Amino acid sequence: MLLATIKSALEDIGSALRMRRVWVALAQETIGDQHRRTALGPLWLLLNYLAFAGTFIFVFQRGDSSMANYPAYVAVGLLVWFYIMEVLTQSVTLFVREESFIKGTTLPLTVYVMRLFMQSVIRAGYALVGCAAILALSGIGVSAMWGWSLLGLVVVLATAPAAILIFAFLGVYFPDSQFIVSNLMRIGMFLTPVFWTYDNAGGVRHIFYYWNPFTYFLEIVRVPIIAGDVPSRSFLLCVGLGLALWAFALLLLGRLRKQVVFAI
Amino acid sequence: MVSIRVENLRLTYRLHDKLSLAPNRPRMPTGGRLEGEGRKRSVTALDGVSFKLQAGDRLGLVGPNGAGKTTLLKVLYGIYAPTSGTVEIDGRVDALFNINLGFRREATGRRNIVLRGLINGWSMEQIEARMEEIIAFSELGDFIDMPFKTYSQGMAARLAFSIATAMEPEILLMDEWIGAGDARFQEKAKARTAQLARQAGIIVLASHSRALLAKTCNKILTLEGGTARPLQSVEEWQAAMDEAAE
Repeated sequence: MLLATIKSALEDIGSALRMRRVWVALAQETIGDQHRRTALGPLWLLLNYLAFAGTFIFVFQRGDSSMANYPAYVAVGLLVWFYIMEVLTQSVTLFVREESFIKGTTLPLTVYVMRLFMQSVIRAGYALVGCAAILALSGIGVSAMWGWSLLGLVVVLATAPAAILIFAFLGVYFPDSQFIVSNLMRIGMFLTPVFWTYDNAGGVRHIFYYWNPFTYFLEIVRVPIIAGDVPSRSFLLCVGLGLALWAFALLLLGRLRKQVVFAI
Repeated sequence: MVSIRVENLRLTYRLHDKLSLAPNRPRMPTGGRLEGEGRKRSVTALDGVSFKLQAGDRLGLVGPNGAGKTTLLKVLYGIYAPTSGTVEIDGRVDALFNINLGFRREATGRRNIVLRGLINGWSMEQIEARMEEIIAFSELGDFIDMPFKTYSQGMAARLAFSIATAMEPEILLMDEWIGAGDARFQEKAKARTAQLARQAGIIVLASHSRALLAKTCNKILTLEGGTARPLQSVEEWQAAMDEAAE
């Protein structure tokens, strides 16, 4: 029973991976659509990122040493946070938005998941340009440690499709979740150490820092660049969390992939 | 050998009471039999449907709205998984359900052909090889490089039909497609449909139009409330219709 469920999920994923041209093409198409009639096109993604990063850097930067490397801290934090925020808020409505496709074609559900994934990666690519620019201007030195940040990014990206699957099913069977998730993500930007630093502050900040899974996904990308050491505990936590999400996502996909069409 | 074998097909699904904070809106299915109460409500959309088709068959699905025609087409296409019974299909299936389905409004007709082709599982080479033929058959001319949203209903239908039939599917499933396009294009479409059937394919067409069914099909399956009457030849069906009318 369990094996059959997993096998069914893997079939779906396998055929979606063979159809990668479909989701790459659809993702490009969607990003093009969003910016088709604008003068700057997808450059707005970069400007949006720079506007946020710039605001935080100028408003919150203090002269004291506790905030050394603050521009780089905000730049990397925002890059990862925007990525997580976009992936989660978009995925809750994913299957509902694709209703006509799901009811009219036999595309594996994972195609829609990978398409959203691809889209979010392309959009994050524009923010990455801005992030690289801020890092270069901030004068922080490139070191071998950056390799760990890269690995951190890979962990974030590898977790994303599982999270998309779970939230997409959530959105189908619990429609109110789209408002809950988008609200939480908006508030989450302030509850997660994206632009504030923890510094063992204790109190409420400690709770939001310590019990917030997003903290650790930010840290594995940020700490190697900012502090120059490897946050091994955060890495372990994120990989463990990622694997748990994937296990849950596979179960959901295997059990519900032929049922979702009746529920949307 | 192209064939379709359906044995004792049954399709039921639960009407999900979605978790919701809003007052409950009852979800109504488009057809089928409602069973059970409250949270256990389910719909039996198809029940005990059996038939066999072989190469060259053109099956017409008839029955009132909500009888299960579209549902059966979607089971044959693979969108709905049967609850019980068997569905064995031999051959490459293509379907023409909803004209606007799967088209991107902002993209050009040409780009849409590529996207539809990829979705249908064609390779880039296959798409390129058929591109000009599809454009020619659709009669869209220079409009092919305009965004899809500028097309009229008829133009969209012509493009959809041209793509769906371009790969010479061995099995073509169609749902009331004929309302689209002008009379001349309908003639062309009918000719191509007939040609597809002659090329030892199978066509399954759901329709309310007796004239169309009589012209296109050789077998008729009558659905009523999700159950099927035995397969009839189109002559038997017409005779029965005439008798009922008298």
